[in-house]
Amino acid sequence: MRYTIGIDVGGTFTDVVGVDAEGREYLAKAASTPHDQSEGVLQGLVNLATAIGLTLSELLETTTRIVHGTTVATNALLERRGARTAMLTTEGHRDVTAMREGLKPARYDLRLPQPAALVPRQLRLPVRERLRPDGGVEIPLDAASLDAAIATLRAQQVESVAICFLHSWAAPKHEHAAAEAVRAALPGVFVTCSADVLPQIKEFERFSTTAVNAYVGPVVSRYLTRLEARLREAGYAQPVFVILSHGGMAPIAEAARLAVGTALSGPAGGVAAALALSRRGLGEQLVTLDMGGTSTDIALIQDGAATLGRGREVGGERIALDSLDIITLGAGGGSIAHLGSGGTLEVGPQSAGARPGPACYGNGGTEPTVTDANLALGYLDAARFLGGARLLDTAAAERAIATLAARLGIDAEATALGIYRLVNARIADGVRVATVRRGVDPRGATLLAFGGAAGLHASAVARDLGMARIAVPLFAAGLSAWGMLQTELRHEIARSVVSAEAMPGDATLAALFDGLEGEARTQLAQWFQGEVVAHRAADLRYGEQVFEITVNLDGVTPDRAGLREAFHARHRALFTYDLPEEEVVLVTARAAASGLLPALPLLPAGAPRPADPIGTRRTLLETGWAELPVHAFDELGTGQKVAGPAIIESATTTVLLLAGDVARMDEGGWLSIELPKGG
Amino acid sequence: MDPVTLAVLSARFTAIVEEMGEGLLRTAYSQILNSSRDFSIAVTDGACRLVAQADHIPVHVGAMPFAAKAVVEAFGSDMKPGDVFLLNDPYHGGSHLPDLTIVLPVFDPLPLADSDPRAMPSDHPQRVRFFSVVRAHQSDIGGNTHGGYNPGASEIWQEGLRIPPIRLGENFEMRPDLVSMLALNTRINRDFRGDLAAMLGAAKLGANRLSALLEQHGGPRLMAAVDAILDLAHAHTKRIVEGWPDGKWRGEAFLDDDGHGQENIAIRATCTKQGGTLTVDLSESDDQVLGIVNSSYPNMFSAVCMAFAYLLDPEVAKNEGAFRALRVIAREGSIVWAREGAAVTLCTSHCSNEIVEAIIRAMQNCCPERAMGGWGRRFRIAITGKDARRPDRKFVWHLFHARPGAGGHAKGDGWSAAGEWHSAGGLKFGSVEMAEARFPLHFRKHEFLGGTAGAGQYRGGHGAELELVVESDGPARGNTAGDGAFHGSAGIAGGQDSAPHRYVLRQADGGERVLRTKEVGVEIQPGEVLHIRSAGGGGWGDPAKRDPELVARDQAEGLA
Repeated sequence: MRYTIGIDVGGTFTDVVGVDAEGREYLAKAASTPHDQSEGVLQGLVNLATAIGLTLSELLETTTRIVHGTTVATNALLERRGARTAMLTTEGHRDVTAMREGLKPARYDLRLPQPAALVPRQLRLPVRERLRPDGGVEIPLDAASLDAAIATLRAQQVESVAICFLHSWAAPKHEHAAAEAVRAALPGVFVTCSADVLPQIKEFERFSTTAVNAYVGPVVSRYLTRLEARLREAGYAQPVFVILSHGGMAPIAEAARLAVGTALSGPAGGVAAALALSRRGLGEQLVTLDMGGTSTDIALIQDGAATLGRGREVGGERIALDSLDIITLGAGGGSIAHLGSGGTLEVGPQSAGARPGPACYGNGGTEPTVTDANLALGYLDAARFLGGARLLDTAAAERAIATLAARLGIDAEATALGIYRLVNARIADGVRVATVRRGVDPRGATLLAFGGAAGLHASAVARDLGMARIAVPLFAAGLSAWGMLQTELRHEIARSVVSAEAMPGDATLAALFDGLEGEARTQLAQWFQGEVVAHRAADLRYGEQVFEITVNLDGVTPDRAGLREAFHARHRALFTYDLPEEEVVLVTARAAASGLLPALPLLPAGAPRPADPIGTRRTLLETGWAELPVHAFDELGTGQKVAGPAIIESATTTVLLLAGDVARMDEGGWLSIELPKGG
Repeated sequence: MDPVTLAVLSARFTAIVEEMGEGLLRTAYSQILNSSRDFSIAVTDGACRLVAQADHIPVHVGAMPFAAKAVVEAFGSDMKPGDVFLLNDPYHGGSHLPDLTIVLPVFDPLPLADSDPRAMPSDHPQRVRFFSVVRAHQSDIGGNTHGGYNPGASEIWQEGLRIPPIRLGENFEMRPDLVSMLALNTRINRDFRGDLAAMLGAAKLGANRLSALLEQHGGPRLMAAVDAILDLAHAHTKRIVEGWPDGKWRGEAFLDDDGHGQENIAIRATCTKQGGTLTVDLSESDDQVLGIVNSSYPNMFSAVCMAFAYLLDPEVAKNEGAFRALRVIAREGSIVWAREGAAVTLCTSHCSNEIVEAIIRAMQNCCPERAMGGWGRRFRIAITGKDARRPDRKFVWHLFHARPGAGGHAKGDGWSAAGEWHSAGGLKFGSVEMAEARFPLHFRKHEFLGGTAGAGQYRGGHGAELELVVESDGPARGNTAGDGAFHGSAGIAGGQDSAPHRYVLRQADGGERVLRTKEVGVEIQPGEVLHIRSAGGGGWGDPAKRDPELVARDQAEGLA
């Protein structure tokens, strides 16, 4: 049997999904290990092998592909725990990243403090050199000033260097020469050049993206190197891929070089999964709610597609690469409930993480978390959590809640319910940001709830928002990891066009696109053998515009007439008008080669016949204590209906149905829950 | 109306104006729009009440409804779907001549039988429910000098082409003969046409989205939602204002000069706060002057709205309801409300900034934690000449680099090089690389400049230094238009004023010529260098209370 494996490292758990050649899906979890995520990954793989009934080396020797989503870059950026980073930059221009082109967010908030720069001014070091926009040299790279800068790098014990010179998009020679000098003088220091990160004109976007790459690069690179070594040691000989912020994936060496491209790697798997489920008939309008131990990610699928943006900020830093539009909240099962400065109950954003974890994990945690409240309320089963692999300590959870209750001056039950209500409200607010604030009414969409913790909160959140339908996949706890197996392998190449004319001649254009496509195919062939589909696109604009539109050229002859016509049509569609008499300028030509993976076989979900409840559990709902029926998720028959209030649970996730909810087991592999009208 | 629908619709209006703004930004031709975003977008209802405005340039926040009103006054019920209206005249709904405004009426899809105060009646069987309004600053608007600002003007006819509300076209198309006439009166024909097309495109985008909303919800229901949205904003503002102490305070600010020899022109604000209302009375300001620093009425009204908005919580929705708690009093014939015919081109920056400064100086006594140190003044220069790389046309380049610093405030130091009070971090200076690729300019130095900020417990933001080599083919000419070479940015609540701007032309013969803020036709020889040191922001609070760690940080950064 041959396997493909998806690995999603969250703040609390590492999820590992394996799919065999016949489409059987296996899920295993392990505690995440923030000090070195690869430890948790290896433990997850061991658990997966056990679940399948193999040894680790038997599993890895028959695995053809591993796809990995990592939050190493994201965490380093958010927590400001990246490398000690410096920047070498053109003399006279050391404040490009701090100036932010004169723009300040929040136009009417004049009392907004200015954030500290990622690379402080004393480490933005001027080097004497200067290029012209055509790549010509105004001032040659000055060896003395470069040496002085390198001396400072050494004295300051810098770990990483971003090399950001003006007009390097036109000619990378000065950046590359400086990089070579730094590497020679300071082996072991991570060096990255702006021309290699984002070879495009506009220095703020390029420098900022490069500074982030330098900041997270060493951390990501160390991690991926260690992970690969561990996998090789354990017997795995095939490629490891990392899912990138835009939802496609790249081999490990490329992900380490362009670490900034992994800044939203973690949540991208969830979006990929939502798209795959949408294609399987879940619906065209989805709001994804991926709630794990530490955070909740929310994204919007509209008309069956996810939205991509190019101006994303993570931790206040501009990253000008394509990325999925995902909102992340610091609210999850591990979020700590506490007495806020205003004297009221607050939940998060601090999380108990994987260690010590919630109080009920029995690892020494004493502060009550959302998971502790869910246990005290009877929503979780102490003996069946993670399929019984981790016995929860109900008494510890109740102790932690009682301590907080005493501080609040209310009883423990009211405190536990308050924690539940508060985290639901925070998540609902997050969904509002993702939908309502963008002018999208969430009520027409299905709430796709996944991640280990979402099933308990989805019904309450949907009620708050007036949403009528929820879907919880059987694979909820590992859906992001599963989604990573649904993405395509993609290699993209772009080239800015330098031409005296608005557009090169037809023969040049044909050669340009053929050449790019050939390069993309060659690159992809290094790590993928199979059917390849190529796509072409061009960034075009009218004469004096400065923003280009990326126009898809699939099915378009890449000559002057073809490009112009495609651009006029796209401009009309986007902006209501076109200017047929105006010259159309080609700025960047693009080609992408996509490796089509064999579709994973589909096994209809659900048991052949309906199953009775496996027991009952005493739970505290808003209406008081009640004995709820408990159903086993994986025993439900195809099409079987369960009416709330009820609990449906599997080894890795628990779904709480509130009164009036009706759940139906869909053969696509998810629980389809209809909420009562006006609920 | 249920709160979810209301929240969705409120956000929908904001999303519409933002989409329109994004469209204009991405399609416009001139640098001033596509790089520096000097434009504003609004939606008003049929009664010309502001419903939503995109967060672009704060100084336009209260001005846009005047454009819709001027169109209604000029055309009354003579409107039909697809009509395109245009204006720029500050005495007919505009702010100043370089700002062209396109107004598109949006009709209810159904004929209305009953009278509805939220709809504009028309001769057409349908009624006007909304106006989609797009205002954009043109690179050139004719007149005596290039670049839209004529610092030598002493009456409006010297400032450029005046356009009262006109019907520019029908069926969402512009009349080509009218466009040709307008374009012929400007110096950069191609940019003008491209920008006008982009403005109409953005306005149409808004009209399409608003029509779809009307189809979806029906006119009466949608307009009831608009009422509720405006009322909510009023309630929000009122709650905040009620939290301030009642009282009466005065503040004043001074313009450097009017360009014709009159110096230290005063703007005086008397602010009276009582209950949920703030009254701002500017009638004691100096009389109107000869030069271009006079304000039109809509611009003055908007500047007061802007100052008020800065004192509120940033989350308050910027619509008609939010400004119901504000009363504005002024005197016609004064610097802030000039009589028809006076020169006013500089008013969106000056005297707008001084109106804000006078109000904040008054209100520092009422709510010092909300008041902020002064943001820098605008000192622009527009350069025209020839580029050897593109011999077929002349260029006009507007300086947006070397922004002044922002004011310090109760929560921290001001932002460095973030701009002026009237734009508040909303004007982008644009890419140096892009500027060098498109214009014959070489940016030798562009960095923060220490020693420019006003001291305070929280200092102002740093100004910036720019060394710009002009590499035109033959001599170029520059016009300046601005203020702040004498007066720095205001210190507030015990903070100190910043140093003023200093702009110098380093000439080929070794001489140095200090530029004044209102100069016409400065000749610049190829290879000469503009050396600019912009002002920092004003400080907030007593400098003696400054945290020593912050002092040390400034020293480590080389910006003490």
